[in-house]
Amino acid sequence: MAVAQPVGVYEREDLLTGCQAVAEGIRLANVDVIAAYPIRPYTEVMDAISKIIADGKLVAEYIVADSEHSQFEIVKHAASVGARAFAGSSGTGWMYGFEALVVTATDRLPVLFLVGNRALDDPGAFGVEHNDALAIRDMGWLLCWVATAQEALEHVLLGYRIAEDKHVRMPMALAMDGAFLTHSQHIVRIPSQEAVNRFLPPFDLGERRLHPDNPVSIAPQVNEDWVMEIRRQNWEAARRARRVIATAYEEFNQVFGQRYRPPYYFEEFLTDDAEVVLIGMGTVAMPARTAVRRLREQGHRVGYVNLRWFRPFPTEELRESLRRFRAVGVIDRDFAHGAPDDGGVLLHEVRSCLYPVRERPAVVNFITGLGGRDVSIQDAIRMFEITQEAAREDRLDGFVTWVGVRE
Amino acid sequence: MIKRVEINYRGIFQKTLAKRIGGDIVMIAARMGQVGFSNGRYSDAPERNGIPCKYFAFVSPDLSEEELEAECGAKLDIDEANISVVLDDTMVKGVEPWAWHGVRPINEKVVPYGYMLVVSRRRPEDLVRFMARKPYPYYLAILEGDASFAGLWVYRDDLTHERVLGALAALDPQLLSIEAVKGYLWDKTHEEHRVEAAQKAYESVRHNVHEVTPLQGIDWPYEIPKLPKWHEFSEGVVVKAVPREFHLGPKGQSRNQLFKRGTTKSQRPVVRFDLCTKCTLCWLECPDQCFDPTPDGYYDVDYEYCVGCGKCAEVCPVQECIVMVDELAFEDNRSPWEHWKRDPEGYIRWAEEKKGTHRVLPNVVTGTGQRVVEAEPVPVGGKPKPAARAGA
Amino acid sequence: MATADKVLVYDRIKGVKQIPLEEFYTSGHRTCQGCESATVMRQFIKAAGPRTVVAGSTGCMYVANTSYMTTPWIVPWMHTQLGAGGSSAVGMAAGLRALMRKNRIPQEKINVISFCGDLGGGDMGLSGISGALQTDYDLLIIMYDNESAANTDIQATGLTTWGAQTTFSPVGKVERIMHRRWKKNVAAMLAVGHPNCRYVATACATFPPLDFLNKVRKALSIGGPTFIHTYDPCPKGWDFHPRYSHELGELGVRSGLLPLYEIIDGEVVYTYDARKTAKGRIPVREYLTRQGRFAHLTEEDIAHIQRMVDQMWDEWEVPGVAPFRGTLKVSA
Repeated sequence: MAVAQPVGVYEREDLLTGCQAVAEGIRLANVDVIAAYPIRPYTEVMDAISKIIADGKLVAEYIVADSEHSQFEIVKHAASVGARAFAGSSGTGWMYGFEALVVTATDRLPVLFLVGNRALDDPGAFGVEHNDALAIRDMGWLLCWVATAQEALEHVLLGYRIAEDKHVRMPMALAMDGAFLTHSQHIVRIPSQEAVNRFLPPFDLGERRLHPDNPVSIAPQVNEDWVMEIRRQNWEAARRARRVIATAYEEFNQVFGQRYRPPYYFEEFLTDDAEVVLIGMGTVAMPARTAVRRLREQGHRVGYVNLRWFRPFPTEELRESLRRFRAVGVIDRDFAHGAPDDGGVLLHEVRSCLYPVRERPAVVNFITGLGGRDVSIQDAIRMFEITQEAAREDRLDGFVTWVGVRE
Repeated sequence: MIKRVEINYRGIFQKTLAKRIGGDIVMIAARMGQVGFSNGRYSDAPERNGIPCKYFAFVSPDLSEEELEAECGAKLDIDEANISVVLDDTMVKGVEPWAWHGVRPINEKVVPYGYMLVVSRRRPEDLVRFMARKPYPYYLAILEGDASFAGLWVYRDDLTHERVLGALAALDPQLLSIEAVKGYLWDKTHEEHRVEAAQKAYESVRHNVHEVTPLQGIDWPYEIPKLPKWHEFSEGVVVKAVPREFHLGPKGQSRNQLFKRGTTKSQRPVVRFDLCTKCTLCWLECPDQCFDPTPDGYYDVDYEYCVGCGKCAEVCPVQECIVMVDELAFEDNRSPWEHWKRDPEGYIRWAEEKKGTHRVLPNVVTGTGQRVVEAEPVPVGGKPKPAARAGA
Repeated sequence: MATADKVLVYDRIKGVKQIPLEEFYTSGHRTCQGCESATVMRQFIKAAGPRTVVAGSTGCMYVANTSYMTTPWIVPWMHTQLGAGGSSAVGMAAGLRALMRKNRIPQEKINVISFCGDLGGGDMGLSGISGALQTDYDLLIIMYDNESAANTDIQATGLTTWGAQTTFSPVGKVERIMHRRWKKNVAAMLAVGHPNCRYVATACATFPPLDFLNKVRKALSIGGPTFIHTYDPCPKGWDFHPRYSHELGELGVRSGLLPLYEIIDGEVVYTYDARKTAKGRIPVREYLTRQGRFAHLTEEDIAHIQRMVDQMWDEWEVPGVAPFRGTLKVSA
């Protein structure tokens, strides 16, 4: 995107992997407490952060924990005393700490986590799949996918800004595709500290901070008298988060130039006159966008929707967008065995989102790229072709295709 | 028609008993062609010993099991009780099983002309004077006996179970007929003394039923708090701590105002301040922090928070200085130390009168009985003697 | 014993009259009558004082203590997960240190204390506690051991005494003893493996008097990560009348089954040594027969427990602490 940047907000360019870009974001956000535990592929972010700390570029408490559970509990409790905290994980490691992830959300502590998406064992696998991060989708988390290293760095700053907002105070999971983004090097513009400081205020947990000067009890045992009201409060916070997200991107643009376009929660690529679109999350955007360009050269009216925010789900905005098309192909880099129509997780979200639309587009589903299998431009073209066919033939509505599997 | 029976009991000590009574009501009603089911109040779990808990039995002669379940199942507490059984009579002073609910009247759920069945050795008027006034009449039945007392692992087979079933038959023969009760007990155990116990209870309770009129009872002194709406309390499961506050003297220590625990006790410690050596042990060992240090070096008791464990009486090194006394001997929770300071001799007379002539020392293993010994009262001005420890 | 040239200086409570009168964990909690674990809560925070933050793992002392929307805590307190006794303390300590380093909160000594039960600390959370004891944060982890998962109605844990009846180890028609694990030696295990940890102790809340209070003071003043294991008689789960909580703890200690010691910078100090009392160790029978959970034990069972305790005091390299013996002959 060739948009003029305000002078001085980016201080330099560097060749960084997605993980290293996140580490730069952590440095710029002046994070206070970081807890590490190794698991591929997210680990590289901790490799980078520990070096940043060792080089004196960030003052922070850096703890190598004994397990993911401890790692997550450490940052949760660091946040409870008012510290800005960071952790992350991948695949089954993320699941090992799942209990801590659940309570971080119900305690409404705005920690930022990196999820370097990885297939769930068994068999052991390092490649990308989205099931790890998607497991928290109902737990009261903010969950967002980035597609480039530049976005990754910027969403660390946006993530803290949104998560720590006093109207939100929810933990934030920043998901990125393992290997394809975590380990792939790109030229990244690194913002200046001064610009970051203008955008991101210091963390203030206010009246909820655990400190002898603010004696509170956090999370006493409840009975049936309270749980429903507490869930209702958290629901409200997730609803408020939608507004705060939009505001945060607007503020970000004000400081850093027009980096992101409304509606922010997702990004549309050549959809203005499109008849059919694909929608997906993460790095699948690259082959999909290339396929769009190639197909358009042949006269096909196709486009791509890159969904960034999965939680909160941009229901209204996405509904208004997708209703314009004749067919929508949903790309799932995940599985949901035994789900309706045997489709993936994103299929059900998108289809449910479109349900109130009277003249709704046909929706088809693609399960692809599991376990790190590459999704090629040819795969994307094939997905477009099936979606185009669904636009013509009613019987294909709800059809699920596995793309890239040996058959 | 649905008959709802609630069984009020003290956590752990009567847990097995209450569960067996509830279950057997269902089994006996079934013999009479009725449907029923039984459950405990789930929010009481995990039970803490002494805390007021509830078990329920629901019986209907004409509804299907599904309808009965729909009306009474999946509910945490009942709205009304046709019969409210009370297995420990000290609970007539009210029950506070959970924070935020205040102290609830024991007869809260009893319907007009419904029954309270209390296991007690007291006269009806001595129970009614602690209970809330109801706007309508109901009946108080007394099953003569002591509160059954057992631990988690050993069931105390003292026939309370059989006697309560017999008593219920006396109150509502349509719910349980005495023939059905006896038939059930015989078929289950083939033990004559169990059948007899039920029969005797049946006969004695029939003559121990008293109408309680809307004029009897007290204006309930405890406010029942209203639960806030979701937007009326802070987000993030944060609760303000108890404010830090301390001075010497009665109620000088800040305490949790929304959960007072006092209804957990069936006994309370009576303190002879004149015998106290100020050793600090009662205060130091109290798991509930209910002793207040006084400016003159004594330890006052905040009975609103005392749970009646008896640990203070056990660790007190002075004979007769702290003695556990039945909770129903007391009208209020006023400061005993203030009473003593105001009227030293009067207080000691009062204390000795409350303590009575005998001392009850429970055996160490729960539910294995107790020793009752004659008291050796120490007169005013008498010299403190070292206490004999029953436990160690 | 600590020698004269190695004296630990701390704010010792010299007599019962010096115990702070003020409570920081106050009345109005939902614990059992005669709960000794509640006494542990009360005593540790009395010793630590108001400039403290506390995390409490899931267990009785969480569920029973705090009933929403109320609390018995006067100091700041937060729930943590069952296995997070160690990590919660690290998190709070790290957060406070970072904020102080960056001058976002005033520099001061704030005690960080985390407590967990025997199930949470001794079984599930052992790895997290081990991790915490490897850090250089000032924190104290207290494992209150009532020898069961008391909050789920008394299930056996790795710290339940051999032979005890629990809801997971009932007495049956064929099996009399379902719980055949010997009590895990958590405090010494942690002391042996964590050179960064300068203070480990075992304690009983009220016996000997002042002992536990001063152990908390010592742990907090020596600094770094520290650990105290308390033995808490549980009237509900052990099945004794609540009136006798103190006696049961005292009997457990005097029988030698529950050894009291502290390990300060690698030196073992026995804080109650039954061997050196006039009566010596009392038979474990006196302790066991006062609990309903042992009502099913036979003479042989009691003799087995006695043998194990005798061995612990008579044959271990460090009696009551470290179970190593140098007596095994390996054949060629």
